[in-house]
Amino acid sequence: MAVTTAPGRTSRTGPVGPRPTRRGAGRVRLGEGLAGYVFLSPWLIGLMGVTAIPMLLSLWLSFTDYDILTPLSEVRWVGLANYERMFTADPSYWHAVRVTLTFALIAVPLKLAAALGVALLLNRAWRGVGLFRSLFYLPSLLGGSVALAIVWVNMFNRDGAFNSFLALFGVEGLPWVSDPDWALETLMVLAIWQFGAPMVIFLAGLKQVPTELYEAAAVDGAGAWRRFRAVTLPMLSPVIFFNLVLETINGFQGFTAAFVLSNGTGGPVDSTLMYTLKLYISGFTDLEMGYASAMAWVFLVAIGVVTAVFFSTGRFWVHYSDGDDS
Amino acid sequence: MHPATFPTAGAPAGRDHRTPLTRRRLVRGLAAVALAVPLALGAAGCGDDSGGGDGGPVKLSVFWWGGEARAKLTEDALALYTKRHPDVTFEKTWQANQGYFDKLATLTAGGNPPDLFQIDDNYLAEYAGRSTTLDLGSYRDSGKLDVSKFPKSLLEYGVVDGKLAGVAAGENTQGLVYNKTLLTKNGLPEPTTGMSWEEHIAWAEQVAKKTKVPGTQDPSADYKALWVWLRQQGKDLYKGKELGFTAEDVTKWFELWKGARDRGATPTPDVIHEGNSSDITKQLVVTGKSATSWVWVNQMPDLKKNTKDELGVVAYPGDPSAQWARASMYWSVFKGSKHKDVAVDVINFLNNDPEAVALLGTDRGLPSNMELRAKVSETATDPAMKQSIQVESELAQKFGASPQVPIKGHSKVKSELVKAAENAQYGRATPAQAAEQFVTACTSAIA
Repeated sequence: MAVTTAPGRTSRTGPVGPRPTRRGAGRVRLGEGLAGYVFLSPWLIGLMGVTAIPMLLSLWLSFTDYDILTPLSEVRWVGLANYERMFTADPSYWHAVRVTLTFALIAVPLKLAAALGVALLLNRAWRGVGLFRSLFYLPSLLGGSVALAIVWVNMFNRDGAFNSFLALFGVEGLPWVSDPDWALETLMVLAIWQFGAPMVIFLAGLKQVPTELYEAAAVDGAGAWRRFRAVTLPMLSPVIFFNLVLETINGFQGFTAAFVLSNGTGGPVDSTLMYTLKLYISGFTDLEMGYASAMAWVFLVAIGVVTAVFFSTGRFWVHYSDGDDS
Repeated sequence: MHPATFPTAGAPAGRDHRTPLTRRRLVRGLAAVALAVPLALGAAGCGDDSGGGDGGPVKLSVFWWGGEARAKLTEDALALYTKRHPDVTFEKTWQANQGYFDKLATLTAGGNPPDLFQIDDNYLAEYAGRSTTLDLGSYRDSGKLDVSKFPKSLLEYGVVDGKLAGVAAGENTQGLVYNKTLLTKNGLPEPTTGMSWEEHIAWAEQVAKKTKVPGTQDPSADYKALWVWLRQQGKDLYKGKELGFTAEDVTKWFELWKGARDRGATPTPDVIHEGNSSDITKQLVVTGKSATSWVWVNQMPDLKKNTKDELGVVAYPGDPSAQWARASMYWSVFKGSKHKDVAVDVINFLNNDPEAVALLGTDRGLPSNMELRAKVSETATDPAMKQSIQVESELAQKFGASPQVPIKGHSKVKSELVKAAENAQYGRATPAQAAEQFVTACTSAIA
């Protein structure tokens, strides 16, 4: 969960805390500063102890042959060997990259489309719409849960509920989860189905679109599709951007469902070998934690690059209406 | 960016299981005592009751994998030790097999490994090779660890690079488990030990034709089946620090099973894949998706719990002398433990104390101590347990020499075999391609 940067800039309504006044005496400011750090300390200690220090340690380990069992004091520095092996001598690494990219490229856009579509449907004053909002949100509350993944695997087994459903129409289903051609697709459907979180954010965004714009557009003779393209999409673009960044990162990090579906192996025939799963297997099953650390750092950089690309293209299609309107 | 340490399915780890003395335990304890008294007389000098402590109370951490039943038996046995040595208590942790080795590795990395832990041959060399395990050789030589009643080959199967890295907690061997009910109902013959692989496949084809249930799980992804088959060809899984086989051998192995699949003797690849899980409850012989499964003999009682059908067990096809007395799992001591002597004494107790062995039964395999094994066999009441004892005892007379303990990288070799075999099963690679791919991957895994 590296990046949680909000699209920012629109937060004009954000609470502005009481600022220490410039005129205040230095002594008071020092005391306040100290108190501030004291109050921050639980978070600060957590950040240092649980995130920052282990991360730096793993950076160091990525240049060693650390195998978990050997004490840290005895690990050997191997330079770039881990990185070299990853890029040149480990076909299954590239396979994992391919699987992860396929997963993210297909599942993320579809998930966002589903989230936006349902948000549009639910953005009306129908009776019982609140109930539907909750129902659609529910799956994503269950998020990365193991239980959900187990249910999913059983649903899409050869003799699972999904195939029984297909049988009603005389269609003979496939063993979705144990067929290497379909296992990853099954995971994608699971990811798409959990569109509740971006949907709620889209809903909130839709509520912010001033109704005058629609009225004006309608007066100008714009149809529903035109209004969607010319009003909704541009007004919603910061929210779309936010969801896109967040969901892409989530998509890359998919782990739980793949782990459960394949019993932690990435099978059948490596079809669900997501990057994080490969990393986990290298570190904990094959006891190559140095190598796994190197993979983690390449992963971090890759996600950083993808996010940076999003941000740099953002200015061409993301419209912030942070003018003085309304 | 690290994936969070993953909560694996199964029993939650890290629980401290207290064991109050209930009436049932008491009765069982008394029964054990009644059983043990004559034994103790017979095997005098076998148990080592001379205190384990180096003075002062000792709390020993113990970690094992297994189910509820094993947990209960083990806790009872450890409680018995505490009864004998009131200054020694235990911090017990157990969990399901899946995730066990992740946890053990993490504990070790955290500098907080258990004093005494269960390990199997998949990881023994990994741990011993990194000096995580204590060399028990000196205890064996001094007699503090009594192995005089152990079969020699079983003891040797715990030796890695000349060091005694683990002591067998029990003995097992490969077992082909079949659905007896299904066969009897259809008037089909039961498989027998000594059948050739060809005969086995022909038999499976016949079963499939008659019952519509695939005759045999395709074991081409199963390292232990490949291992037995290799030994029958005069090869082995490992020779020294290298592979004991070539791509040609594996090609033949994959082709054997491709032939079986083409003849309809095995399930479809997706079902084979399900059965490739190490999970007992997913073995095809208990899920009814195949008439046989390739397992370890001591898993019989557990398998039986998952099906209403009668099960039978024989050796893997081919010459049974390719099988050996395998340590189903070991007890090992952490090299940095503060209570090495006590930990070794506990291992000695669990293996050689008549009462403890009677309590533990055959849950971890047949007892390593031959004298006590005989007693446990005589008193076993669970039919599935009796059956596995009987089969293994029969096989024991035919066992060949133990191979060397699998080397570093073995866990990867295992997973690469699954991948290669499934590639061939799904028709994504020819047997020769899959074999080539497998050998290449293995070579880099054990390098």
